[in-house]
Amino acid sequence: MALILWIIAAFVFAFGAFYFPVRWAQRRLPPIALPPGESMPVTALQRLAWRTLIAVLLLTLAAAAVVVYSGVEAWWEKDAVRLTATGLLMAALIVFALYMSRVWRWMARDGGALDERDRAILVAAPAGQGPAMLVTLAAWMIGLVETHQSTHMIHSAFLYLIFWSCVMVSVLAQLAGVLVGYRRS
Amino acid sequence: MPKATIRNSIRRLRFEHGEMTQQELADRAGCTRQTIIVLEQERYVPSLLLAFKIAKAFGTTVDAIFTLQEA
Repeated sequence: MALILWIIAAFVFAFGAFYFPVRWAQRRLPPIALPPGESMPVTALQRLAWRTLIAVLLLTLAAAAVVVYSGVEAWWEKDAVRLTATGLLMAALIVFALYMSRVWRWMARDGGALDERDRAILVAAPAGQGPAMLVTLAAWMIGLVETHQSTHMIHSAFLYLIFWSCVMVSVLAQLAGVLVGYRRS
Repeated sequence: MPKATIRNSIRRLRFEHGEMTQQELADRAGCTRQTIIVLEQERYVPSLLLAFKIAKAFGTTVDAIFTLQEA
């Protein structure tokens, strides 16, 4: 159970790494004043990033739920568990690939859905990927050491889980970076 | 080095141009309405290209819209 908490903590910490820099940046900016009853319009990129983030997050959480529900030992013992979890994660990557292909098409077209601010936000979006992955790795390291210290052994399936969690955190951090970018400028 | 900010008069110019809407200006300048909003609120500094496009939309010069304010 303690390990599950560490996995959740990894995701929470990885996204928490965004929160304080964003709050800090927002404090330095003048507040946006809009007419009463009017909200900030959403750009095409923002809408796409939100939809992709939700889809990727749900698929990742579903994969995590499969592993948590079945137990890490089931990774090798039950093919269905491994294939279901991997399938869900691959589906998440396909959703992200579709998002990237749409963005690349937009970027290649001049005067299309993206303007210069959208492009600047896209360029800055990957900045959080590295820190988010480092936090995830740190959470895994501490979690695994704390829970397996007595035996000095960990199940080999954890190598897969560490890899996949880093991949998914990286993808989620990129998408979150786009959404955060709109709040920072 | 002292920090400088770019001020702009986009909001005033919109109203001087027959209450041009933000969307209309965005369409003319080739950007999103959100960009016009953050520009008006001086939360975003445009590129030279966008600055020239906005100036063209208003039929004026860049320095008539954007001014440098030394801290």
